[in-house]
Amino acid sequence: MVYNYVYHDHRNIKSETSQLEITAPYLLERFKSNDGAGLLNKTITVTGTITNKEEGAVALDESVYASFSGETTGLKVNAQIAIKGRCIGYDELFEIVKLDQCTVVK
Amino acid sequence: MKTIITLSIICLAFIATAFGQEKYTTKTGEITFEASVPSFEEVKAKNTNVSAVLEAETGNFAALALMKGFRFKVALMEEHFNENYIESSKYPKATFKGKIKDFNFSELSGEKEIIIKGTFNLHGTDKTMEVPATISKKDGEVWVTAQFVLKPEEFNIKIPSIVSKKIADEVQVSAVFKLQK
Repeated sequence: MVYNYVYHDHRNIKSETSQLEITAPYLLERFKSNDGAGLLNKTITVTGTITNKEEGAVALDESVYASFSGETTGLKVNAQIAIKGRCIGYDELFEIVKLDQCTVVK
Repeated sequence: MKTIITLSIICLAFIATAFGQEKYTTKTGEITFEASVPSFEEVKAKNTNVSAVLEAETGNFAALALMKGFRFKVALMEEHFNENYIESSKYPKATFKGKIKDFNFSELSGEKEIIIKGTFNLHGTDKTMEVPATISKKDGEVWVTAQFVLKPEEFNIKIPSIVSKKIADEVQVSAVFKLQK
Protein backbone atom coordinates (compact mmCIF):
# COMPACT_ATOMS: atom_id res chain seq x y z
CA MET A 1 0.00 0.00 0.00
CA VAL A 2 2.63 2.53 1.14
CA TYR A 3 5.00 1.12 -1.43
CA ASN A 4 2.46 1.72 -4.18
CA TYR A 5 1.98 5.30 -3.08
CA VAL A 6 5.68 6.07 -2.92
CA TYR A 7 6.60 4.17 -6.06
CA HIS A 8 3.62 4.82 -8.30
CA ASP A 9 4.53 5.01 -11.96
CA HIS A 10 5.30 8.10 -14.00
CA ARG A 11 2.45 9.46 -16.08
CA ASN A 12 2.12 7.85 -19.46
CA ILE A 13 1.40 10.85 -21.68
CA LYS A 14 0.92 8.60 -24.71
CA SER A 15 -2.03 6.82 -23.13
CA GLU A 16 -3.59 9.90 -21.50
CA THR A 17 -6.62 11.55 -23.07
CA SER A 18 -5.80 14.90 -24.58
CA GLN A 19 -7.47 17.76 -22.72
CA LEU A 20 -7.36 20.30 -25.52
CA GLU A 21 -6.78 20.45 -29.26
CA ILE A 22 -5.19 23.65 -30.45
CA THR A 23 -3.17 24.99 -33.39
CA ALA A 24 0.51 25.74 -32.76
CA PRO A 25 0.31 29.53 -33.42
CA TYR A 26 -2.73 29.86 -31.18
CA LEU A 27 -1.04 27.94 -28.37
CA LEU A 28 1.90 30.37 -28.60
CA GLU A 29 -0.51 33.31 -28.60
CA ARG A 30 -2.12 32.06 -25.39
CA PHE A 31 1.22 31.98 -23.58
CA LYS A 32 2.26 35.37 -24.99
CA SER A 33 -0.94 36.91 -23.70
CA ASN A 34 -0.42 35.28 -20.26
CA ASP A 35 -3.28 32.87 -20.74
CA GLY A 36 -1.21 29.70 -20.74
CA ALA A 37 -0.61 28.87 -17.08
CA GLY A 38 -3.67 26.62 -16.96
CA LEU A 39 -2.15 24.41 -19.66
CA LEU A 40 1.08 23.64 -17.80
CA ASN A 41 1.64 19.94 -17.21
CA LYS A 42 -1.51 19.12 -19.22
CA THR A 43 -1.61 16.61 -22.04
CA ILE A 44 -2.69 18.46 -25.17
CA THR A 45 -2.93 17.90 -28.91
CA VAL A 46 -1.26 20.48 -31.14
CA THR A 47 -1.76 20.75 -34.89
CA GLY A 48 0.42 22.54 -37.40
CA THR A 49 3.04 22.36 -40.13
CA ILE A 50 6.53 21.07 -39.37
CA THR A 51 8.87 24.03 -39.92
CA ASN A 52 12.03 22.50 -38.53
CA LYS A 53 13.29 19.08 -37.60
CA GLU A 54 16.05 18.14 -35.20
CA GLU A 55 17.17 14.95 -33.55
CA GLY A 56 14.21 13.82 -31.45
CA ALA A 57 12.20 17.00 -31.89
CA VAL A 58 10.21 19.09 -34.37
CA ALA A 59 9.05 22.70 -34.48
CA LEU A 60 5.47 23.41 -35.56
CA ASP A 61 4.79 26.72 -37.37
CA GLU A 62 7.86 28.14 -35.57
CA SER A 63 5.60 28.40 -32.51
CA VAL A 64 5.87 25.08 -30.71
CA TYR A 65 8.91 22.91 -29.98
CA ALA A 66 7.87 19.31 -29.48
CA SER A 67 10.36 16.77 -28.19
CA PHE A 68 9.57 13.12 -28.69
CA SER A 69 10.29 10.21 -26.42
CA GLY A 70 10.57 7.91 -29.42
CA GLU A 71 11.61 8.10 -33.06
CA THR A 72 10.92 11.03 -35.37
CA THR A 73 12.20 9.37 -38.51
CA GLY A 74 8.87 9.42 -40.40
CA LEU A 75 8.41 13.14 -39.90
CA LYS A 76 9.20 15.57 -42.69
CA VAL A 77 9.48 19.34 -42.91
CA ASN A 78 6.36 20.98 -44.44
CA ALA A 79 4.14 18.04 -43.43
CA GLN A 80 0.85 18.71 -41.66
CA ILE A 81 0.79 16.96 -38.33
CA ALA A 82 -1.11 16.51 -35.07
CA ILE A 83 0.92 15.61 -32.02
CA LYS A 84 0.04 14.83 -28.44
CA GLY A 85 2.38 15.80 -25.61
CA ARG A 86 2.80 17.41 -22.23
CA CYS A 87 2.91 21.20 -22.21
CA ILE A 88 5.92 22.26 -20.10
CA GLY A 89 5.80 26.01 -20.68
CA TYR A 90 6.80 29.10 -22.62
CA ASP A 91 10.42 29.65 -23.61
CA GLU A 92 10.89 33.41 -23.91
CA LEU A 93 14.45 33.09 -25.28
CA PHE A 94 13.13 31.60 -28.51
CA GLU A 95 9.50 32.68 -28.13
CA ILE A 96 8.19 29.15 -28.42
CA VAL A 97 6.03 26.85 -26.32
CA LYS A 98 7.70 23.58 -25.37
CA LEU A 99 6.11 20.15 -25.19
CA ASP A 100 7.78 16.92 -24.09
CA GLN A 101 7.00 13.19 -24.31
CA CYS A 102 5.27 13.79 -27.64
CA THR A 103 3.76 11.18 -29.92
CA VAL A 104 2.24 11.55 -33.39
CA VAL A 105 -1.56 11.46 -33.46
CA LYS A 106 -1.81 11.69 -37.23
CA MET B 1 35.25 58.28 -55.26
CA LYS B 2 32.60 59.51 -52.88
CA THR B 3 30.29 56.69 -53.96
CA ILE B 4 33.00 54.11 -53.37
CA ILE B 5 33.64 55.42 -49.87
CA THR B 6 29.92 55.49 -49.09
CA LEU B 7 29.51 51.99 -50.49
CA SER B 8 32.42 50.61 -48.53
CA ILE B 9 31.11 52.22 -45.35
CA ILE B 10 27.72 50.60 -45.96
CA CYS B 11 29.41 47.26 -46.67
CA LEU B 12 31.53 47.50 -43.53
CA ALA B 13 28.47 48.41 -41.48
CA PHE B 14 26.69 45.32 -42.81
CA ILE B 15 29.65 43.06 -42.06
CA ALA B 16 29.93 44.53 -38.58
CA THR B 17 26.23 43.92 -37.81
CA ALA B 18 26.35 40.42 -39.25
CA PHE B 19 29.40 39.67 -37.15
CA GLY B 20 27.95 41.26 -34.06
CA GLN B 21 24.81 39.21 -34.38
CA GLU B 22 26.58 35.89 -34.72
CA LYS B 23 24.66 33.73 -32.31
CA TYR B 24 25.10 30.16 -31.21
CA THR B 25 21.97 28.54 -29.85
CA THR B 26 20.44 25.31 -28.59
CA LYS B 27 17.02 24.16 -27.46
CA THR B 28 18.27 20.83 -26.14
CA GLY B 29 20.81 21.79 -23.51
CA GLU B 30 21.10 19.49 -20.52
CA ILE B 31 20.95 20.42 -16.86
CA THR B 32 21.27 17.78 -14.16
CA PHE B 33 21.02 18.49 -10.47
CA GLU B 34 21.60 16.25 -7.53
CA ALA B 35 20.83 16.79 -3.86
CA SER B 36 21.32 13.23 -2.65
CA VAL B 37 22.34 12.33 0.86
CA PRO B 38 24.31 9.10 1.34
CA SER B 39 22.20 6.07 2.35
CA PHE B 40 18.94 7.80 1.39
CA GLU B 41 17.03 7.66 -1.88
CA GLU B 42 18.77 9.40 -4.78
CA VAL B 43 17.50 12.97 -5.29
CA LYS B 44 18.44 13.67 -8.87
CA ALA B 45 16.74 15.13 -11.92
CA LYS B 46 17.59 15.92 -15.51
CA ASN B 47 16.22 18.38 -18.04
CA THR B 48 17.24 17.79 -21.65
CA ASN B 49 15.24 20.66 -23.15
CA VAL B 50 17.12 23.67 -21.85
CA SER B 51 17.45 26.65 -24.21
CA ALA B 52 20.59 28.72 -24.42
CA VAL B 53 21.99 31.55 -26.55
CA LEU B 54 25.59 32.73 -26.81
CA GLU B 55 26.43 35.97 -28.62
CA ALA B 56 29.87 35.26 -29.99
CA GLU B 57 31.04 38.86 -30.26
CA THR B 58 29.95 40.12 -26.86
CA GLY B 59 30.17 36.93 -24.79
CA ASN B 60 26.61 37.44 -23.59
CA PHE B 61 25.11 34.14 -22.50
CA ALA B 62 21.52 33.33 -21.58
CA ALA B 63 19.86 30.06 -20.60
CA LEU B 64 16.30 29.10 -19.77
CA ALA B 65 15.02 25.88 -18.21
CA LEU B 66 11.35 25.06 -17.83
CA MET B 67 10.92 23.55 -14.37
CA LYS B 68 8.33 21.02 -15.54
CA GLY B 69 11.00 19.65 -17.86
CA PHE B 70 13.02 18.21 -14.96
CA ARG B 71 12.50 14.46 -14.83
CA PHE B 72 13.13 12.32 -11.73
CA LYS B 73 13.44 8.57 -11.48
CA VAL B 74 10.72 8.45 -8.83
CA ALA B 75 7.39 9.93 -9.98
CA LEU B 76 6.38 11.05 -6.48
CA MET B 77 9.65 12.94 -6.04
CA GLU B 78 8.93 14.76 -9.29
CA GLU B 79 5.47 15.70 -7.99
CA HIS B 80 6.87 16.99 -4.71
CA PHE B 81 9.58 18.94 -6.51
CA ASN B 82 6.98 20.66 -8.71
CA GLU B 83 4.23 21.17 -6.19
CA ASN B 84 5.95 21.77 -2.86
CA TYR B 85 9.49 22.96 -3.42
CA ILE B 86 9.97 24.70 -6.72
CA GLU B 87 6.26 25.58 -7.17
CA SER B 88 6.52 25.22 -10.91
CA SER B 89 2.98 26.35 -11.65
CA LYS B 90 3.72 29.69 -10.02
CA TYR B 91 7.35 29.90 -11.19
CA PRO B 92 7.47 27.87 -14.42
CA LYS B 93 11.04 28.68 -15.42
CA ALA B 94 14.57 29.25 -14.22
CA THR B 95 16.78 31.63 -16.16
CA PHE B 96 20.39 32.72 -16.22
CA LYS B 97 21.55 35.87 -17.96
CA GLY B 98 25.20 36.80 -17.93
CA LYS B 99 28.39 37.66 -19.72
CA ILE B 100 31.65 35.76 -20.11
CA LYS B 101 34.46 37.69 -18.46
CA ASP B 102 37.48 38.73 -20.55
CA PHE B 103 36.26 36.82 -23.56
CA ASN B 104 37.44 36.97 -27.13
CA PHE B 105 35.60 34.50 -29.35
CA SER B 106 37.93 34.84 -32.34
CA GLU B 107 40.90 33.79 -30.20
CA LEU B 108 39.12 30.68 -28.98
CA SER B 109 40.92 27.46 -29.78
CA GLY B 110 40.68 24.21 -27.86
CA GLU B 111 39.12 24.22 -24.43
CA LYS B 112 39.20 27.31 -22.28
CA GLU B 113 38.24 27.91 -18.67
CA ILE B 114 35.98 30.91 -18.29
CA ILE B 115 33.95 32.76 -15.71
CA ILE B 116 30.39 33.74 -16.55
CA LYS B 117 29.11 36.54 -14.38
CA GLY B 118 25.38 36.79 -14.31
CA THR B 119 22.07 36.49 -12.54
CA PHE B 120 20.07 33.39 -11.82
CA ASN B 121 16.34 33.68 -11.49
CA LEU B 122 14.88 30.62 -9.82
CA HIS B 123 11.67 30.27 -7.82
CA GLY B 124 11.05 33.97 -8.52
CA THR B 125 14.26 34.96 -6.69
CA ASP B 126 17.33 36.64 -8.23
CA LYS B 127 20.90 35.83 -7.31
CA THR B 128 24.03 37.19 -8.94
CA MET B 129 26.90 34.74 -9.22
CA GLU B 130 30.20 34.10 -10.93
CA VAL B 131 29.96 30.67 -12.51
CA PRO B 132 33.14 28.83 -13.51
CA ALA B 133 32.64 27.12 -16.87
CA THR B 134 34.50 25.78 -19.86
CA ILE B 135 34.03 26.69 -23.49
CA SER B 136 35.34 24.96 -26.59
CA LYS B 137 34.83 25.23 -30.33
CA LYS B 138 34.80 22.16 -32.50
CA ASP B 139 33.52 21.63 -36.06
CA GLY B 140 31.52 24.85 -35.96
CA GLU B 141 29.84 23.89 -32.70
CA VAL B 142 30.45 25.61 -29.41
CA TRP B 143 30.32 23.61 -26.19
CA VAL B 144 29.69 25.33 -22.90
CA THR B 145 29.80 23.22 -19.73
CA ALA B 146 29.58 24.19 -16.08
CA GLN B 147 29.42 22.61 -12.65
CA PHE B 148 28.36 24.65 -9.68
CA VAL B 149 26.49 24.58 -6.39
CA LEU B 150 23.19 26.25 -5.55
CA LYS B 151 21.56 26.42 -2.15
CA PRO B 152 17.76 26.12 -1.98
CA GLU B 153 17.58 28.61 0.92
CA GLU B 154 19.18 31.30 -1.26
CA PHE B 155 16.22 31.05 -3.59
CA ASN B 156 13.66 31.02 -0.84
CA ILE B 157 12.92 27.32 -1.39
CA LYS B 158 11.80 25.77 1.84
CA ILE B 159 12.51 22.12 2.53
CA PRO B 160 10.24 20.81 5.33
CA SER B 161 12.24 19.55 8.31
CA ILE B 162 10.67 16.10 8.01
CA VAL B 163 12.51 15.46 4.73
CA SER B 164 15.44 17.83 5.17
CA LYS B 165 17.71 14.98 6.30
CA LYS B 166 17.15 13.26 2.97
CA ILE B 167 17.88 16.31 0.81
CA ALA B 168 21.32 17.90 0.73
CA ASP B 169 21.66 21.60 1.66
CA GLU B 170 23.89 22.09 -1.33
CA VAL B 171 22.54 21.15 -4.73
CA GLN B 172 25.15 20.07 -7.28
CA VAL B 173 24.24 21.39 -10.70
CA SER B 174 25.84 20.42 -13.96
CA ALA B 175 25.05 21.95 -17.34
CA VAL B 176 26.06 20.95 -20.87
CA PHE B 177 25.20 23.05 -23.91
CA LYS B 178 26.05 22.11 -27.47
CA LEU B 179 25.45 25.36 -29.32
CA GLN B 180 25.09 25.69 -33.06
CA LYS B 181 24.97 28.69 -35.37
